[in-house]
Amino acid sequence: MNRTLRIPALALAILGCAPFGAAHAQNDKGKAIYDKVCVACHSAGIAGAPKLGDAKAWEPRIKAGIDALYESALKGKAPAMPAKGGATDVPDADIKAAVDYMVAAAKDGAPAAAATAPAGPAAQAAPATPTAPRPAALSFNRLLKPASKRNPPPPEDGIHDPDNDGTHALQPPLQVFESLPRSNAGNRVDWVKALDNNLIGPRWDRTDPAAAPVVMDLNIVREVKGSMPDVVYPHKQHTAWLDCSNCHPQIFIPQKGANQISMAAILLGQKCGVCHGKVAFPVSECRICHSKKKNVMPVKNAQAN
Amino acid sequence: MTIRHPGASWRGALAAALVVTICIGGIGTSGDARAEYADVVINNYSDAAGMRPVIFPHWFHRIRFRCKVCHADLGFQFKAGGNEINMVKIIDGQFCGACHNGDIAWSVENCNLCHSGKPGTPTQVHESTIQKLAIQPQAGGQQ
Repeated sequence: MNRTLRIPALALAILGCAPFGAAHAQNDKGKAIYDKVCVACHSAGIAGAPKLGDAKAWEPRIKAGIDALYESALKGKAPAMPAKGGATDVPDADIKAAVDYMVAAAKDGAPAAAATAPAGPAAQAAPATPTAPRPAALSFNRLLKPASKRNPPPPEDGIHDPDNDGTHALQPPLQVFESLPRSNAGNRVDWVKALDNNLIGPRWDRTDPAAAPVVMDLNIVREVKGSMPDVVYPHKQHTAWLDCSNCHPQIFIPQKGANQISMAAILLGQKCGVCHGKVAFPVSECRICHSKKKNVMPVKNAQAN
Repeated sequence: MTIRHPGASWRGALAAALVVTICIGGIGTSGDARAEYADVVINNYSDAAGMRPVIFPHWFHRIRFRCKVCHADLGFQFKAGGNEINMVKIIDGQFCGACHNGDIAWSVENCNLCHSGKPGTPTQVHESTIQKLAIQPQAGGQQ
């Protein structure tokens, strides 16, 4: 009796192992790609990325079909998923393997354990490449906002109420920012360049789309103390957006030497700080204003003059 | 007043400290909020009236209008919450109502498009230097 049972059991075991072995190889490939590329976001769930092994987050995505998942992975998906997770040099098949790996992980619940438990050497290798999310305290540039957290859509931005239906009707900023020149601060859009290059056409008049500003091309140089380069204030870029009355005479007296300006005042929201640090590029961008190198004149020459 | 006399060493140190604070960035009073730079939250009357606070997205509007249209022609002061805007004024065609009238932009019946902030969010210019420096907004608005 025992014997007759043992043979089919063995056969079943072999049959069971064969497809498992193939899937396992595929899984290894997927895991390798996952560990190299996808892990950046999908381990910690950055920017709404479904976490590896998070069955609940993956469920609706898996329901939408594997082809839709392949499509999102290969071509990217708003708001934050770049095409191929940013690794455009990886072949399509490998990306698909990584998707399969993540889908399998979601179905299993406990990915690493399930995949590696049957194979001895793999199980030993597993601790060397843990897939567990790294604690935030150990992340690279702990205090800097990672690129994936910039310009989130309104429901995810922390100040809009996601329970409000209107919030979901608002335009996600990245939808338009992607077509505009980038900068390193503020909205991360270079608004001056966007206007100069005619990429945006903000009206100068509330109702008349044809009205145009009278742009005044006059640079004011302010010599500053210390080693910082002098400030060049361009009327041109300012009058393209603003009316003279916005700044003169309330914020700046239109007279040379009549205005005391300091970085302390600007940081506290006065003078240039009325806009810079609130809506125009912030004060972290020192060199956009402090742009004119000082004439370093040797003392001897100065005396000779 | 103090800012009229630049050059004092403590002030230099203060400025340096502030610059450092800004450079390391992102550590403000805003918690996990990471909305767009220059998003203005206006909560003068909203919370008390049981409405969500208003969020004004500067980025969205500056694509469509130059600063001058609102800040010179329509009389918006450069001060978050400092314009004492209420719905009566808006329906009367002042402030937001100059455009949000169903003619230039969608009209006031779309309450939830503006009143979309998390309840209790204080008046602020989001991501502003002052906000990052952890200076609490004063009553009557933040400069």
